[in-house]
Amino acid sequence: MATATEVKKRTVRINGCVASAQAAKYADVDVIAAYPIRPYTATMMALAQMVANGELDAEYIVADSEHSQLSISHGASSSGARVFTGSSGVGVQFAYELYSPISGSRMPVQMMIADRTLDPPGDFGSEHTDALSTRDMGWLMGWACDAQEAFDNHLMAYRIGEDPRVLLPQMVCQDGFFVSHITSDVELPDSGQVKEFLPPYKHPYPLDPRHPVSHGPQIMPEQGPPLQLERARAMEGAVAVIEEVHDEFAKIFGRRYDPWVEEYMTDDADVVFFLQGGHAVTARFAIKHMRDNGLKVGMVRLRTIRPYPTDRVNEVLSKFKVVGVIETNMGLGSVSSGGVLYGEVCAALYESQHKPLVLSFMAGMGGEAIVLDEFYWMAKKMTEAQKRGKIEKRTHWVGFEE
Amino acid sequence: MAYTELTVWTRGIIMDKEGRDIVNSISASARLEGKYAQAMENYVDNPDRTNCPTRKYCRVSDTVIENELTYENEKPNIIVLVEGTMVKGWDYMRGMPPGGTLVINTHYTPEYILRFVPGAERLAQLVCVDAAKIADHKWLYYRLGELGLDRLSTEGAAERNKSIAPDIAAPLIAAVVKTTGIVKLATIEPMIANKHAFKLALEELHIMPLHPVAA
Repeated sequence: MATATEVKKRTVRINGCVASAQAAKYADVDVIAAYPIRPYTATMMALAQMVANGELDAEYIVADSEHSQLSISHGASSSGARVFTGSSGVGVQFAYELYSPISGSRMPVQMMIADRTLDPPGDFGSEHTDALSTRDMGWLMGWACDAQEAFDNHLMAYRIGEDPRVLLPQMVCQDGFFVSHITSDVELPDSGQVKEFLPPYKHPYPLDPRHPVSHGPQIMPEQGPPLQLERARAMEGAVAVIEEVHDEFAKIFGRRYDPWVEEYMTDDADVVFFLQGGHAVTARFAIKHMRDNGLKVGMVRLRTIRPYPTDRVNEVLSKFKVVGVIETNMGLGSVSSGGVLYGEVCAALYESQHKPLVLSFMAGMGGEAIVLDEFYWMAKKMTEAQKRGKIEKRTHWVGFEE
Repeated sequence: MAYTELTVWTRGIIMDKEGRDIVNSISASARLEGKYAQAMENYVDNPDRTNCPTRKYCRVSDTVIENELTYENEKPNIIVLVEGTMVKGWDYMRGMPPGGTLVINTHYTPEYILRFVPGAERLAQLVCVDAAKIADHKWLYYRLGELGLDRLSTEGAAERNKSIAPDIAAPLIAAVVKTTGIVKLATIEPMIANKHAFKLALEELHIMPLHPVAA
């Protein structure tokens, strides 16, 4: 095994889209199913060039829609191929029918998502609603906050999803623009490291005329419950594998991620932001400035939402007095009448002996950047709630209130 | 200058590469000089259409850039118009703090072109450079077929020409760097493909000093 110092390192300046394409290349994918929609398109453009230049030996199939993209992915994965696909916004929705069949037949397809708002407003900006609306379809799911993390997540997701104890598809998500189109330094690994970390994909029961098996046949109602239970257990069983894989990733590549949450300046914090994805970058600056002014504020960034780390969220968030959930998604008529993360946070905290106050912030909607002043405003609402000992209301729309 | 914003206005698709080359090369040079720098395209302008106005941005800072995720330059100190006729029709000067620089690719003189500039009272200098002539820029007339194959709405991914500033971007970069000092000429010159046009432009700038007042 090569040590970190023996490993030849190469740092390039690329954006999240290209980082995802690079990850697919390093994972040596067999089949790529493409259909363009901004902002993830740049990933497929980069992959098309890699295939054309002979850097990557893969079947590059241009589908006629996202529904076909996922159908191709399903079939290719069933035959034993390592598959890479992706989409954004309404494209994610158009493929919806395929999400349950793919996880139901336990095919570890990987889908890159660069978030885009749904219609309305249908602009190019990032809201997490596109991917989050599929969160209970049996796909592993989590968000990166920068291009390096996106690259790393792709490799780890393949390793986790293809583990025979898991065999589940993965949505590897990044914010449109904030991650997909912002360039930063990405350390590309040595291909030997990747070979060591990610063995070739081998499905235990691929479709093969020499060894006939059936995938996804029509079944009788009494066969339904055990099938569903198995899928649920695969998701639960993924928890241990996710932790193992993150450990091994750190050993081989030298970057250690907490698989579930990133805690930033939380040691003595009273109030914390709870969020997913790219806005964490600005949150860290905001927190530093507020700390300089004596405010005990921190951040907890959720890295994996499926499987949801209920106990971990409970344990982490119980330490604080106020939690401000930054949604970046639409949960119309949901628990808080704001976004869907609020419900996930509160459910995890229900069994806690030390429940913090929980506020939900609708910020960054339509893909607007959440600027420093907005983080200060949210922190003010949180400290006011702390002083008052109760919340004023569950959901605040940032930018629409005093 | 502790923090500088550069905004390039260009024409969609056919002149996208020129705009992109300007912000990318300046940002890369600033990083080589140990500064913090960022280059990006206006996310909302893309995917663009042929000839529609599109913006490219560059930020150079002595300290870490905290507004990295803000998708537009709100207070550009330097503005570049890659194509001369963009000088009138809309307010590309909005947000410029007093003391800014405007660089235009045009064969007209600053004395003539100044009348079309909105909010010109904020400018410390107006710089005109005949980039098309200096770069011997014939493709627009003689190589349209080739251009049609090379310039696609793919945010640069499908362009066959991988060199930086082979055409009119070279004189424009020379104009920006010489008149603003945003990076050093010696740092950026090795990156530029059309070195002849880059050097020629340094001698052929038309610089009009102005006296900025608060907007």
